[in-house]
Amino acid sequence: MTVLGTLVSTGLDLELSFNNILQGFGFSPEVAHILWLPLPMLLVLSAALIGVLVTVWLERKISAAAQQRIGPEYAGALGILQPMADGLKLLVKEDIIPAKADSLLFTLGPVLVLVPVILSWLIVPFGQNLLISNIGIGIFLWIALSSIQPIGLLMSGYASNNKYSLLGGLRAAAQSISYEIPLALAVLAVVMMSNSLSTVDIVNQQNGLGFLSWNIWRQPVGFVIFWICALAECERLPFDLPEAEEELVAGYQTEYAGMKFALFYLGSYINLVLSALLVSVLYLGGWGFPIPIEWVARIFGQNIDAPLVQIFTGSLGIVMTILKTYLLVFLAILLRWTTPRVRIDQLLDLGWKFLLPIGLVNLLFTAGLKLAFPIAFGG
Amino acid sequence: MNSPIAGNQMSRFFQQVAEYTRNAISAGKYLIQGLAVTFDHMGRRPITVQYPYEKLIPSERYRGRIHYEFDKCIACEVCVRVCPINLPVVDWVMNKETKKKELRNYSIDFGVCIFCGNCVEYCPTNCLSMTEEYELASFDRHSLNFDNVALGRLPTSVTTDKSVQPLREFSYLPKTIMDPHEMDPTNSRAGKLPEEVMDWMKQESESAPKDLVESINNQDKKTEK
Repeated sequence: MTVLGTLVSTGLDLELSFNNILQGFGFSPEVAHILWLPLPMLLVLSAALIGVLVTVWLERKISAAAQQRIGPEYAGALGILQPMADGLKLLVKEDIIPAKADSLLFTLGPVLVLVPVILSWLIVPFGQNLLISNIGIGIFLWIALSSIQPIGLLMSGYASNNKYSLLGGLRAAAQSISYEIPLALAVLAVVMMSNSLSTVDIVNQQNGLGFLSWNIWRQPVGFVIFWICALAECERLPFDLPEAEEELVAGYQTEYAGMKFALFYLGSYINLVLSALLVSVLYLGGWGFPIPIEWVARIFGQNIDAPLVQIFTGSLGIVMTILKTYLLVFLAILLRWTTPRVRIDQLLDLGWKFLLPIGLVNLLFTAGLKLAFPIAFGG
Repeated sequence: MNSPIAGNQMSRFFQQVAEYTRNAISAGKYLIQGLAVTFDHMGRRPITVQYPYEKLIPSERYRGRIHYEFDKCIACEVCVRVCPINLPVVDWVMNKETKKKELRNYSIDFGVCIFCGNCVEYCPTNCLSMTEEYELASFDRHSLNFDNVALGRLPTSVTTDKSVQPLREFSYLPKTIMDPHEMDPTNSRAGKLPEEVMDWMKQESESAPKDLVESINNQDKKTEK
């Protein structure tokens, strides 16, 4: 992180300044590092949780608006505390493990679903240095981690010892595996253009000309494929077969109650926010302002490296990332109330016969364009 | 690709691809249309009634909890006979001196009643009537068995209840107004009220030509004969 910080030398480096401050108080560099370590973890956990609370509230309010209802109203102003109340209720509910269930797998399932999702937040950048770790294989790590999820789903479906749960778990696994491939192909096209798997590099490569250089213009097909696959991975409505309530009660969640159910609930919403974040990182220029911030600074005659300007650009980056993310979350919620659920055969058809070939063609096309126009497509 | 058969196959393949693309584009178009519909709904006013704070005014034909006047009842038991399940319990004794029925108790169990209104329809002394009360929830189903005292109570009207905002039902709104919130309460509903219809019918019969009225009267006399 520090190497990259010195190379690019734009944006804030919080770790460096935190360590410098602590060393100013007389701590050794090692102690300063250890004191620094838990901070980003806590920050990401709380960011993910607050993101989920906001998303749940938005989901309920926007769903209500789309159906000409009011939605939660009495828990806090405009029902803003409703997700907290929901969480609190689930927290104090009795934790039931069915008598005939496999209690070990039953407990392990939700954990295995939630942990990879939270772990994936490692690679989400909110600014040049505002991420937990800028690892070279960033986006690949996310794809790898998201493959763990279906194991957890299958595990909880099997362990519940319930036909609906098992069917839901099997569906979830089939769906995740089918949509992983076009998703990876869409990401691969982006990676090819930016010559890096690191999320920071992908964003930097998009922000030369403001919104004109965002990947969505160069990868419109990839964007659509990625968004469809992300919705399928999150089990959002056009693809919510694993928990189709009309057929499967609640799918793999049927036997779960209390905190274990809350883990599933949390996992699905964190996954939604994460997917929206990654779409904004991969295709909508991440933390980039629609007009390059350097140009704006030059117009106002400010030095981009000045501390105050850096704080301003840093917070603007966070705001932009969150804004883009929540626009996508809004789109996902609107899609939920617009589209009917697909059948399992339609789902697999769409994944294998439509998205996969299109993803491959898109990848080939991108490779060709990269050879033909190396300036525009990252030679 | 050199042979004509291979070329034919290639062209068919490209045709298929073209059709597939067309289908995909039209699917996308329909999806955007649907999104526009849901997006448009977000700007509309909620149509829900915020129940404990707002209530709809029941229509004048509403069949709610039955009201009963003990003093009017002659214990004829017509209500019991017309009831699909003989529900009303009429407890009376014969007074041998006066040779008259003496009513002691009357009760209807609203946990069983289906609110068909037959008893109200057939009661010869009009001692039974329908109210607009529908909030009959209770913790014990036996408390729904109303005796003559409970049956004689009048419900709180939605329009006079200070803690409730009364809302008109859709068919009681003036023409072109869809939302009861934005309506002036003095506005009358679309169409004529029953008394207005009566006035209109009187006017019609007065203004109608005399010979027509007479001919109708004559016809009536013929049928009577």
